[in-house]
This record gives sequence, structure tokens and C-alpha cells, in this order.
Amino acid sequence: MLVFKLKKMKILYKYIVVVIGVLTVSCNDLDVDPLNIIQDKDIFNNENGVEAYFAGIYNTLPVEDFIYRQDAGFMRNDGGRWQCFYHPGALTGELVGPYGSTYDGAGGFGYWPYSDIRTVNYLIHNLPENAQNFTEKQIGEWLGEAYFCRAFLYFSLVKRYGGIPIIKDVQNYPEQSIEDLQVPRDKEIDVWNFIADDLDMAIDLMPESSDKGRANKYVAAALKSRAMLYAGTIAKYGSQNHVSGEARDLGLVGIPSAKAEDLFRQSLEASRILDGQYSLYKKRMDDKEQNYVDLFLDPESPESIWVKDYSLTSGSAHSWDATMTCRFMTADGLSRSYPTLETVERFGELDVVNDDGTPKRFDNLSDITEGIEPRLLASVYFPGSMLRDIEFDIQRGIYEQFSGTAEDEIGLNPPNEQYRHLAGSTDVLFEGKQVIGFTGISTNGDDKTRTGFYVRKYIDYNKEQSSCGLYQSTQSWIIIRYAEVLLNRAEAAYELGEVDEALNAINDIKDRAGAGIVSSGELTIDEIRNERNKELAFEKHYWWDLKRWAIADRVLDNTKFHGLLPYYILDEDKYIFLKDFETFQRTYTFEKKFYYEPIPGGELGKNPNLYPNNPNY
Amino acid sequence: MKRNIKIKSWILLVISLCLFACSEVDNYNGPDSSFEGRIIDETTGEIFVTETGGIQIQLEELSWSETPSPQHIPIKEDGTFEDSQLFSGHYLVMPINGPFWPLNQGIELDINGSTSHDFEVLPYLKIENLEYSLEGNTLVLNFNLKAPISEGLPNVLDIKPFVNITNYVGNGATISQYSDPNKIDINAAWDSEMASTTYELRVSDLKAGRKFYARVGARVDDSFKKYNYSQIVEVDVPSE
Repeated sequence: MLVFKLKKMKILYKYIVVVIGVLTVSCNDLDVDPLNIIQDKDIFNNENGVEAYFAGIYNTLPVEDFIYRQDAGFMRNDGGRWQCFYHPGALTGELVGPYGSTYDGAGGFGYWPYSDIRTVNYLIHNLPENAQNFTEKQIGEWLGEAYFCRAFLYFSLVKRYGGIPIIKDVQNYPEQSIEDLQVPRDKEIDVWNFIADDLDMAIDLMPESSDKGRANKYVAAALKSRAMLYAGTIAKYGSQNHVSGEARDLGLVGIPSAKAEDLFRQSLEASRILDGQYSLYKKRMDDKEQNYVDLFLDPESPESIWVKDYSLTSGSAHSWDATMTCRFMTADGLSRSYPTLETVERFGELDVVNDDGTPKRFDNLSDITEGIEPRLLASVYFPGSMLRDIEFDIQRGIYEQFSGTAEDEIGLNPPNEQYRHLAGSTDVLFEGKQVIGFTGISTNGDDKTRTGFYVRKYIDYNKEQSSCGLYQSTQSWIIIRYAEVLLNRAEAAYELGEVDEALNAINDIKDRAGAGIVSSGELTIDEIRNERNKELAFEKHYWWDLKRWAIADRVLDNTKFHGLLPYYILDEDKYIFLKDFETFQRTYTFEKKFYYEPIPGGELGKNPNLYPNNPNY
Repeated sequence: MKRNIKIKSWILLVISLCLFACSEVDNYNGPDSSFEGRIIDETTGEIFVTETGGIQIQLEELSWSETPSPQHIPIKEDGTFEDSQLFSGHYLVMPINGPFWPLNQGIELDINGSTSHDFEVLPYLKIENLEYSLEGNTLVLNFNLKAPISEGLPNVLDIKPFVNITNYVGNGATISQYSDPNKIDINAAWDSEMASTTYELRVSDLKAGRKFYARVGARVDDSFKKYNYSQIVEVDVPSE
């Protein structure tokens, strides 16, 4: 009986539980914000929120830094981001490196950052709606910074693809229909004008100073100086040398040449805004080589306009030290990209041959650097240069004896000849002498120099060898420095016929570099361009410069590049230097269609209004 | 217990087979059609002189999409092309990426079974009266340039010899030290002087006792910068 009662009770209990359960679930409105998602009101209500939002935007900005690859992008969180030797310069002969040819990088990596642009647009949309939380000035400064960030994103698109859709409002899906979201491409000139407008607002609204990692009024002016110069040259030179096609007929790529003057003018005026605000780094003008080296390493440099920082603790450190010089100087990693003789001889021809055609004899490797411009020595490690008390003992091989001319020896580059000894490994000896140096040049592989040179710019010489490992370098990348603004200024001024202004800017650069200054009669557009390529070597400008000057298909036309190959002559106990092909003898060709990258195939699939694709794709 | 597990795994297997089995048959045919043809030189009616990959046939499958991704068939060294792995359908086809006046538009045709079509194109430049001789182990090539249409011709860039040890010879297959240093840059608009000049290219230090295949190329500064070629000549360098 008791058992039966209990059973009944149990059933009753069950019913009660079910009823309570139903009541609890059914009646309450679940209108509680999720605790694990940050809401708009947490961000746009207070300063910390907006600053954090900006930090997120800055992380997505397309900064072409130590890690950037023309073929693979910004490598964020990518395991391969230690490989700084995948340098865009190695597609162009500024360096030779792991790329087999120019083709490897010319098609880009399908960059399409519209989600990042939306993040900025969202801020621009929401800040005014939350204006009651802040002062008007504060809102204005933030808006200016947002316009700057948006301009930087669009600049990185237009220089790749030409005209792309200009999206300045926040798009919403599914509220808007798919058709509504399939925005067609804008004309290239309209995108450049849009960038100029955004930067003008940024210059207007932003404060005069900022943390070096963030933008201010002058950073925006510097970016405008760069962007409008790009556009001006594309208008002037791209209209003469280009691929025709539907996209060009529609103005989606290409800028009418009539616009060039206005664009150069805008660039020049933007450069002038920076006058007196920044200066060239001149802390050690008694030693111009050391001064130029330190310019890239001194966090207090008055020349740095906008920088990107790295740190060990946040895991953002890079590997420039470990991967731009060879393992002999570092703790880990390897190098694969090397400056070419063509880059080095922009600074003047190296004198290694006597009048009678025989190679000059040198007692020591380092004698080659005598009389060379300090800036070049600070940008490139030569045979005989020192780093961390270790010599770049670069040697291609040994001649038992050498009696002929330099010319007879070069061009064919067979591995071995009578009296000539080359080697693939540093432990090969000939008559007790090491055949190649510990730092190259090997017949085997490319983890030692292929050209006789190494990149010195940005190498942190103060760092202990033991801490030159992968992901251990924290020197900042200078995104824009004042020397570039001066070069932009010189180029735009010269294009506008204002030669004196161009001359002053160029001679400021040359003086700091330890190079001889030029007179106005000597100043040509080629001189200005060459000065730019020298000053900004290895800073990831050259690829874009070749494109905007529309000379890439001439410079890279089945072209091979050269090195400076040191040999030891055994019976004389002297060194000679032969200017010969870099050891891989690679060929570089830039097809005209590469002046614009193809619109990414996946985007064309999603949005047929992006057609026509750029010519010849 | 063991038996139980066995039964369970059998049940799992049957369930997964049921889940993955396909009941629908793919209703598309495979790429079983072919497209072939020749490139004809409009000035002679003969086959266009080129090298492997010296021209490409661009196909856009309009029956698949309004905005199809282009496919390309590279030309063979004898001026013919063939692709036997194409889907049947309606295509827009056009020869591109070669040294001839660009066609305004391609032609539309149905590719079904084995389809063939010849394209007529007009070369930018022609190399005529090619004569060659050996001075010791230096090859001397003399020739004239002719422009079928001179008006609107892009600047003439350069003339260049190509030398190889097989009869596959051209810009894509040449011994670079015989080729690159012996190029002559022209970089000028076509004029009557060019038409009347007899050009000479010299290739020195050919290896003695070897047979080489050589030809001459000339190109203009159009979008593609491809070479117009001469016929191939065989050169026997005598032993020393």
C-alpha cells in the first residue's frame, strides 16, 4: 500500500516539474544582451571603447612591412611569416631571391579588404550618432583618423586593380538585396579623387601630433603626397604605355593624361604641408654611414612619420635579422634574397677592371669599399664588411693563377675550369685554403649570397648573435619617412617644371647620404628617380615605382641580373672581383598586363558587376 | 560483449553507406569534344610562322556563363593548335597574345565532337630574304624587315637571333649567351629607312663541330611584345 502511494507521489512530482518547467520557459521574454559579445554601446559610449576599435582597424591596415609579400600578402598569423626574403624587390632585380621570375608575384594575392573597409565605415556611421558622449573636437579627430584609414585601404586597392567599387556606407545583409550589394566598379580616376577627398578631411580634422604608430594631420598629408604622385605618374606615363581593352575604354583602369598636372599639384601641395614638421635624421653627421644605419633603428628618429611596432610579448616580432643575412651571422633561419650589382651600381660604377681589361688586384676584400658613398655602405653589406665582429668573407672561388682579361672569364660561368676552383660547401679546401667563404658564394643552394652582397638596411647590428633568431626582431618598420616625402616633392615639382624646389629636396637627401650634390643643369627626371630608388632601396617601394612610371616591361624584359663575384688568386695572394651573372642566372620578364592585377576570380564569381576584368586577363 | 561491438560496427557501416550513397546521376557530359585548327598568315595564305606557345587561342564558353573565365590553348611550333578535352557548347574564340594585328572580336561557334577552325591574322612584321653564312664559327644573318601595314604600327623594339641545338627554337627556347648579347635595339617608329635596310645579326663563338638551328625575330611594342620569326635555318659549324 505504501509502495503504491509512493509511486503515485512520484508521478505527481513529475507532473509538477513539467508544469513548472513549461511555465518558466514560456512566459519570460529573453531580451538580455549576450555577455560574451561586445556591444556597440560598450564601444561608442566611451573613449577606451573607440580607442580599442581603432586598434582593431590599425591591425588590418595593409602595411607593406618586413613580412609583406607581393604574392601572399600581409601574412597575419601565418606560419610562413618568418620568411622576410620573399621580398617584392626580388621580383624586380632590386634583389634576386627565391622567386623564380616576375610572374610569381605579378598577379598579387587577391587582396579584397571590403570587410576591413566596412569596419571603418561602421565607425564613421556610428560616431556621429554617439556624439553626445564626447566633445565635438574629439569626434572630429576620430572621424579624421577614420577617413585616413579608409584612404589607406582604398589606396592599397587602386594601386593594384585600378578602379574598384567605392563603398562609403555600411552595407547590410540580409536587409539589402544581393543585387543591391553587387556594386559595379568605379572609374580609376574617381577612386583616386575619393582618396584625395578622404585625406583632405583627415588633414582638416586630425590633431598635429600623435603616437608614432597612429596617424595625425601630417601622416595624412604624407600619404596624400605619395598617393597623388602615384596617380599623377599613372596619368602621365600609363596613358602612353598600356594594354588596351574594354576596362580601359570604360575608364576602369587608366587615368586621362590631362589629369596629370592637377594630380602632381595636389601631391606637391600635400608635401609642402610637412615643411618644418619633420626632418632628415642627422644625429651623427661626422659619420654619415653610421648615421644612415641608425636612422632605421633609432625609435626617436625625427624622420619617422608613421611606424609599425613589433614586440616579443605580443608575438608580433619579425625575423628580418635572421633571414636577411646568412646563418653565419645569426642564431637561426637562413637568407635567400640578395642585392644585385645593378642596384649597387645605381650609386656609381664599381671600378674593378684596369684600362688594359685585366681585373684590378686587391690586397683585402674590404678594399673594394674604398671611396664608396656612405649611404650605399649603410644599405648593403659588401665583401669584407663586418657585422657583430664577423667578416663577410664572401668569395666565389680560387684561381690558381690569372693572366687574362676580366671579359674572357665572364658570361659562361661554368662550374669549374682549369685553374679555377668553385665549391658548394664551405669545407672544401684547395691547397689548404677554403675555396668559398662562410658567407658564400656557393655553387649549391641560395642560403648564402648569390650576388656578393647582403642587405644591411634595418639590420640591428647591436643585437647579440644569439638573439638573432626567428621571430626575435623588434625594430619598427617605418611606413612613411620624411626622406620619401622630399623625394615625392622633388618628383612632383620637377614634373610641374618647378626645378628649384626639386633641386633643393634632392640635394637635402644627397647631402645627408654623403653623396655629391647636383646643380640644376644636371637635374633630370631620371636623376630624381634614381635618387628615389637609391634612398628607398629595399623599403618595398621599387615594385610600385616601376609600375607607375610604366617602365617595368622595359626594365624587366627577359632580363638577367649580375653580382660582384670575388675570387682569390693563389699565386699572387690577391683578390679580384668579376662582374658576372648572379649564380642562378634567372630571367625576369614583366608582361604589360601586369601593370594592373586581375580582379580576384572569387569576387568576380560573387559579383558579375565587377566585369569587365582588367585587360588581357 | 565482443559480438555486440561487431554488430554495432556493422550497423554503423550500413548507416554511413546509406548516408553517402548517391541516388542522382551526374547529368553533364564529360569534356569529350575537341577543337583544332591553324593560324594562317593573311599575307601569304600559308601557316603563320611562330614558336611553341607563341600565340594562344582564347576560348570563352558562353553557353556556360555570360562571364566565363577564359581558357587558353597554346599554339604548337608548326602553327597549329588542338585541345581534345573541351566541353561541348557555344564558345567565343579568338587568337591572342601573338605578334599580329589584334582582331577586333573573336568568332562565336559551337564546339561539338571534333570541331576545327582556321584563323587568319596579319603579322606586324615579316622577316624576308634571310641569308646566312658562317665566318669561322661566327654565324652571320642578313635579312630585311617588312611591315604589311605600316600605319599605326607600334614602335619596333628590337631584332634578335635565336639559336638552339634542336629545331624548337625561338624566344622560349634559345641559348641565352648566343641570343641576348647579340640583340639589336631599334626603339623607333617604322619608317622607309627600316624598310630598305638590310639588317645583320652576328652570333660569334659557336661551338665547333656542332649543328645548330637558328632564326631571327623582330617585335613591336604592342601589348604582348611577341616576336615575328623567320624560318629556321640549320647551321653546321665545322670542326676546328
